[in-house]
Amino acid sequence: MFSSSTARRLSRYTNRRFLASYAYTKPSSPSDAAISTTPLDITDEQRAALDSALRVDQAGEVAANWIYYGQHCILGKQPVTGPLIQEMWDQEKKHLEVMNKMQLQHRVRPTILMEVAKIGGFGLGAVTALLGKEAAMACTEAVETVIGEHYDDQLKEMESLPSNHPSVPLMREVVKEFRDDELEHLDIAVTNHAQRAPAHALLSTVVGAGCKVAIELCKRY
Amino acid sequence: MADFRSQLLRIATSLVRTHGFTREALSRSVLELPAGKAHSEPLSDSAVSSLFGIGEYARKSLIEAWLNEGIIQMASKPSSSLSHVLHTRLNYNEPVLPYLPEAFALLASPERGLPPLDPRPALKHAARIADEASYISGDTSSQLSWYTHRASLAVMYSCAELHQLTSPETAHAFLDSLLTGSSAFEKSLDEVHFFSGYVLQSWKGILRSRGIL
Repeated sequence: MFSSSTARRLSRYTNRRFLASYAYTKPSSPSDAAISTTPLDITDEQRAALDSALRVDQAGEVAANWIYYGQHCILGKQPVTGPLIQEMWDQEKKHLEVMNKMQLQHRVRPTILMEVAKIGGFGLGAVTALLGKEAAMACTEAVETVIGEHYDDQLKEMESLPSNHPSVPLMREVVKEFRDDELEHLDIAVTNHAQRAPAHALLSTVVGAGCKVAIELCKRY
Repeated sequence: MADFRSQLLRIATSLVRTHGFTREALSRSVLELPAGKAHSEPLSDSAVSSLFGIGEYARKSLIEAWLNEGIIQMASKPSSSLSHVLHTRLNYNEPVLPYLPEAFALLASPERGLPPLDPRPALKHAARIADEASYISGDTSSQLSWYTHRASLAVMYSCAELHQLTSPETAHAFLDSLLTGSSAFEKSLDEVHFFSGYVLQSWKGILRSRGIL
């Protein structure tokens, strides 16, 4: 009856009370172990995997924020595209707020490439926006496709973490929520004519490849 | 076997104040095991070598275990005051001060020929203390300021620790002076950053009024 994007939006609206990220953005108890402690009884390999996962997630949210900032600088005044970009940007701001708190909670080293992520994100957003609103949507489509897949892969890796520590199930739910948000942005971009962008295939390939390289770099550095 | 080795290392760290960072401290650790497990004789030299490594490797293992114990000691006395946490760590050095210069020199000695000095153990030591002190004091720096905060703490602590090796009585006062100076420097940097923001906003306004933006 409904498209998958509409179904996701309706599901989100009805479940708004139960968003996992509220544990961080609207904590009922700041000393709750789920948001203030990190599992200690995990192996060194699991710890390294958790570190690099949260590091790249935080970097990705920083980059996403700056991509939308760049797009908003150019297209913010447009009557239809402006509010759309603002809505998606507001969601990314919430994602970043949560990722910053998770980085501190789990004592993760942030990527040293953070400033590069900001400059690169802003540049990508602004340049694609200068090419037109369709190109900006194509950029969003390409980025959110890679990010959505990345979060999916992370969820599979997180299955090996022990669930007895309260932060682990919460982390999985937060990643699921953010994955769904990113896929919603992907749907918005496609609905708003991303595929009409000039040289759409080339643009998507280049942006997607750049995102994958950035992910690998931020995992390590 | 790994658990037994870790247990002996932990015991040996408590013997450093009397025996220094020596193979003898490792050898005598078995005498301090809990009742029922304690040996009547220290470990032989070959036993120390097989458990902890031959020659200086065994001493390096002991030094690293002692440094790890220092991190645990910091965490055992939580405080929201960064100064208090760093002073606690300096206090941990006091019982073994005479042995520390040689211990640090040993850690910095390369395993093979060149380079003549390996700075990595010293950097790792300072970085671990800076990270642990930041965590214990509730630091919330993120992104680039995470690095700058820890880098400045590592430098300050390293300077204070080096000062402690030559002048232990004034080490704590020296650390305090470094921390005070650093917070004044940080305030100045924040003000510069704030002012730069104003200048940037003014330029943006000028460019908009000229129709460039």
